[in-house]
Amino acid sequence: MLTKTQTVDGAAIKKAIETRDGKMLSSFYADDALVRVIDRNNPPSKPREIRGRAAITTFWDDICSRAMTHKVDTTIADGDSLAFTQACAYPDGTKVFCAAMLELKDGRIASQTVVQAWDE
Amino acid sequence: MRPIETRYARSGDMRIAYQVVGQGSLDLVFVPGFISNLDLHWEDEGYTRLLKRLSAFSRLILFDKRGTGLSDRVDAHNLPSLETRMDDVRAVMDAAGSGRAALLGSSEGAPMAMLFAATYPERTRALALYGGYAHFHKWVMSPERLDAFIEMAETAWGTGATLPHFAPSRVDDAHFAQWWARFERLSASPTAAAALARMNADVDIRHILNVISAPTLVIHRRNDARVDPDASRFLAQKIPGARLVEIDGRDHPIWTGDVDGVANLIEEFLTGERAVGEVDRVLAALLVTRIYDTARLGDRMWSERSQRFQETWRLLVGRHGGRSVGLHGELMISRFDGPARAIRCAAALREAAQEIGVASAQGAHVGEIEMRGPPVGMTARVAMQLAAHAGRGDIIASRLIADLAAGSGLHFTDAGRISVDELEEPLALVHATSEQHLEPACRPKPRVAEPAALTARESEVVSLVADGKSNAAIAAELRLSEHTVKRHVANILLKLDLPSRAAAAAFSARHPGPHGP
Repeated sequence: MLTKTQTVDGAAIKKAIETRDGKMLSSFYADDALVRVIDRNNPPSKPREIRGRAAITTFWDDICSRAMTHKVDTTIADGDSLAFTQACAYPDGTKVFCAAMLELKDGRIASQTVVQAWDE
Repeated sequence: MRPIETRYARSGDMRIAYQVVGQGSLDLVFVPGFISNLDLHWEDEGYTRLLKRLSAFSRLILFDKRGTGLSDRVDAHNLPSLETRMDDVRAVMDAAGSGRAALLGSSEGAPMAMLFAATYPERTRALALYGGYAHFHKWVMSPERLDAFIEMAETAWGTGATLPHFAPSRVDDAHFAQWWARFERLSASPTAAAALARMNADVDIRHILNVISAPTLVIHRRNDARVDPDASRFLAQKIPGARLVEIDGRDHPIWTGDVDGVANLIEEFLTGERAVGEVDRVLAALLVTRIYDTARLGDRMWSERSQRFQETWRLLVGRHGGRSVGLHGELMISRFDGPARAIRCAAALREAAQEIGVASAQGAHVGEIEMRGPPVGMTARVAMQLAAHAGRGDIIASRLIADLAAGSGLHFTDAGRISVDELEEPLALVHATSEQHLEPACRPKPRVAEPAALTARESEVVSLVADGKSNAAIAAELRLSEHTVKRHVANILLKLDLPSRAAAAAFSARHPGPHGP
């Protein structure tokens, strides 16, 4: 029997991110998914690569364990491509802004590229 | 980049100072050892290096434990328990919005981190312990040695007197020793230091080790001067699944010695990825400075003058926009962005050496060097060979330096060629000559000290000094008071313009008086 799983779309991602539901978020990814993060510490020619669901789960667990606010603003869907922007803030007011681009395959996230910048 | 903000978390009625640096996806709390000061850490090269390395892959949360640095003081008569102090970690994490973090406990911070991991497993992502222990008296100091340490801390606190107990190999590094003395003063008052030492001495957490469930990495330096490596072997044995890595070195503080080695281990443990060996090469001018003809100076005088010269070296290198990158035996190596700066600094160093009473010999070369770590590689090796080749007062540079410094107003004369081990072609050399207008019209002639300047009594005293006799022994032999002998010795040093007894002894040996040496 197939387990009924949450459909991966803009609304589901928005809900999971904004409620800091790391478990839910990780369940959206394919087993061999790849997340690439580009920021000041991880330049475009050497982005941080997080491969596989286990590593991605740890990544989201770390992010979601922080008492910060996340707001997913714009979500655009086009076939198997999905894009959204996200504004986040730490309790001390430091802001982080991310733009993410996702490719879906068989209803799961196969790859994701995040570009982020923060106050410093 | 905005300056690092220091904030205060509330823990009970105490305020705990903390800083947050970096934007990595995982939170890492650094629990410091005996004493700390959030502001001062950023003024030490090694500490800064450590914090930069850790904050490159994490959101690094730093704090001063209660009683230290920028945090509230503790009542020396009513010391808080380890549990209370451990709760400061939780308070800081709450304030920084960290629900779950990896903890890095260093030295005295290790037991605190372990207690946290045992108390709040759900908030502990992983545990990295460096130079830690579970029982103070067993692995750090016996009660008797602790009493002696506290007595020393109370009488000499703030002078850097504790440095040999922590980082013996840095004792001769005057710059670091000065920083260490400030580190003592700005991290705790003498009373607080004694109270902290007593507080740490109570630590015994051997019974909680088996309940720690977080993945744990234990790091210890094999010849750690402060904490017995057996302490970490015990931790690794008792903490379920812990992994022990012993590394070379004897300096205890985590920010001394091979900082990159420690950071690599921690990064790999926490991210699961080997630190990418970023090869960061830049084009730079290297200046290698040595003291010429060291054999002519007596040991004592040599060590005094070379130390003074080393201090001046650091100062002048900084003033010329360079960086002191290392001491390689007796070679002082500095790095500059431009060759003209290196040569101007070399000229200033030559002058300074003369004032101190030593002669310099220097070599400069330009090429690609690695930004990180000690100066190794071809450019460094060539510069060292040039310094070895340089004569008294010489500044020898590769022709390339002169070419690149064209238009700088510096003067160079041809100095032939030298074959360098690793280069196929002999390397063309130049002499850097001082800019004419900077040359003083005439140098003050060093005063020639003559034994005749001494009175008969002083001559007697100096020859006894040369025999290695103490003031008390000389007083007894000449039937004088010790005080009088002391005054004679002071007068002798003044008249002969000598820095020390040893120098006077050497002088006496070179100028045998009527009675012979």
